[in-house]
Amino acid sequence: MRYRRPGLDAISHILLILALLAFSLPVWLAIIAATHDQSSLYTGTAPLWFGDQGLDNFRAILSEPVARLGTDVARLLFNSTVMALGIACGKIFIAILAAYAIVFFRFPLRRLCFWLIFITLMLPVEVRIMPTYKIAADLNLLNSYAGLILPLIASATATFLFRQFYMTVPPELLEAARVDGAGPWRFLRDILLPLSKTNIAALFVIMFLYGWNQYLWPLLITTESDYMTIVVSLKRMLSSADNLVPWQAVMATALLAMLPPVAVIVLMQRYFVKGLVDAEK
Amino acid sequence: MATLSLDALSKTYPNGVTALHGVDLTIDDGELIVVVGPSGCGKSTLLRMLAGLESISSGELAIDGRRVNDLEPAERDIAMVFQNYALYPHMSVADNMGYALKNQGVPRAERRRKVEETARLIGLEDLLDRRPKQLSGGQRQRVAMGRAIVREPKVFLFDEPLSNLDAKLRVQMRIEIRRLQKRLGVTAVYVTHDQVEAMTLADRLVVMNGGHIEQVGTPMHLYDQPASRFVASFIGSPSMNFIEARHADGVLTLPCGTHLPLRDGASTESGDAVCLGVRPEHLVQVGQGDDTTLTTQVELVEPLGADTLAHVRLDGQAELLVARLNGAQQIAEGDRLYLRPDPERLHLFDPQEGHSLAAPETVS
Ligand SMILES: Nc1ncnc2c1ncn2[C@@H]1O[C@H](COP(=O)(O)OP(=O)(O)O)[C@@H](O)[C@H]1O
Ligand SMILES: [Mg+2]
Repeated sequence: MRYRRPGLDAISHILLILALLAFSLPVWLAIIAATHDQSSLYTGTAPLWFGDQGLDNFRAILSEPVARLGTDVARLLFNSTVMALGIACGKIFIAILAAYAIVFFRFPLRRLCFWLIFITLMLPVEVRIMPTYKIAADLNLLNSYAGLILPLIASATATFLFRQFYMTVPPELLEAARVDGAGPWRFLRDILLPLSKTNIAALFVIMFLYGWNQYLWPLLITTESDYMTIVVSLKRMLSSADNLVPWQAVMATALLAMLPPVAVIVLMQRYFVKGLVDAEK
Repeated sequence: MATLSLDALSKTYPNGVTALHGVDLTIDDGELIVVVGPSGCGKSTLLRMLAGLESISSGELAIDGRRVNDLEPAERDIAMVFQNYALYPHMSVADNMGYALKNQGVPRAERRRKVEETARLIGLEDLLDRRPKQLSGGQRQRVAMGRAIVREPKVFLFDEPLSNLDAKLRVQMRIEIRRLQKRLGVTAVYVTHDQVEAMTLADRLVVMNGGHIEQVGTPMHLYDQPASRFVASFIGSPSMNFIEARHADGVLTLPCGTHLPLRDGASTESGDAVCLGVRPEHLVQVGQGDDTTLTTQVELVEPLGADTLAHVRLDGQAELLVARLNGAQQIAEGDRLYLRPDPERLHLFDPQEGHSLAAPETVS
């Protein structure tokens, strides 16, 4: 339902613009701060226009080890990307298979399996963090990509979403495929996966952001700077007891930390929209 | 090319519903069998058991003499056309049609050739690159047919394939299905609840009711010699009229006082109550009433053009009778109408059980 009222339109536009300004101000300030040198950020007033450093701050943090971190930001970005991609792809892979089993196969205790998976929705990482840490430590997963990814890889949410989608697939499609000689794997590969393309894209974005923004688990499991993620490192750059915080480097890192999630959203958005317009199903 | 034999096929669903109670049927090579019956009588269940999509609770199913009870659908070499077509929405028409061949490992070039050949046969050659959603209902129906034909299966199975089409297209596709099936010579089982569709398509009709087969035979055989009141009312449109009557010494007496001669060989004793069946087209209008005519009052007139259907009330009868009269006839509501049932075309049924009381030799 859309209402056509000029007055309403004007008001909603003004509100939208105000909200936009409010939300973009911190980003603007971060961009500005990242182009100043440290001394000009400690004059007492926050600068509102570009400084004289240009991209030098970025160049510095990307190529040289950053103070207190022991590694450069490029490495951090790489670690975060590996973790976020691993979590997103792993979650989707496992959720697709789990939902496929639950929806399309009749096996004993099927409902129990579903509810067990469903219940884990209520158990976020924080709740099970101690036993998970113990297991990760026993398996020698501390300070490794596997350790960053594996404990976060099972997803009740994604399983649930795929289950809901699969249940809307007309049963005749499965029957037609059976008559056409497609076994379970072929049905999954040739019919189900192509039909869930847009769901996969949407989940990928959500799960990538989820993985990228992980804080507590990477903080616990990584002690070597080689496996540190960028989100955790940002916090460490701020925790200075004795020194002045290098705000220009912090801001530049923060901006870089934002780029991959933004890029994923922008890239994948095309697929959502395409999916919505095509509306295949 | 195949024969099917069904021996006491039964189906009980896991929830305890018994949808089929022992169905026996033999289907000849190249025959088009239409299974017809009201909604919920088990037609789809039967078809899906033939297809292998539903397990067989008891009984034997054989294709070409080979027991196939436990074979997967793909191993039975059957093709099925679904009511809602069940086309793969993300595949082009060509891919939809070629999918089964692809799963059989037919090389790409040969697949392409077969798909194009089939597409030419059913008039789809310009649509091969389209997606199902870019097609009209009739075109989708064609693709579903093409998908079945391209595999050259032993048996075609159709589950109400035309019920999502509009009336005109339905008639057109009906003719086309018949033509294709004869031309390809493939054994086919076709399920429908539409008796007109059933009559026009079938080599032999199977009338089902409540999980049983009521009667099997050619459409005309079922029309002329229905084995039960159920078959009689289901086959033919409008439905047969039924009138309670009493048999006394070779004469049927109707509640309104009309006397009709009883044909030889009817298995009924003098004094029995019987149910008399007369088709609307076997009620003949006469100018003058006598004791072999029904004196009726017209309640509703349905002009169909060539024919006019008159819904009439018979004294002492709760339900209206329907008579099919010549369309040139001028009749109006409230008119008095004298109708003579054609004595050669009377049907007699047991008033309780509903089975036919016709002479035994005419009941097959
Ligand atoms: N999957 C099922 N589980 C339980 N009962 C079913 C199932 N499918 C059909 N039935 C029941 O079996 C009977 C026959 O159904 P069906 O074969 O679909 O009838 P038709 O196709 O003649 O309309 C119906 O009473 C229906 O409720
Ligand atoms: Mg049905």
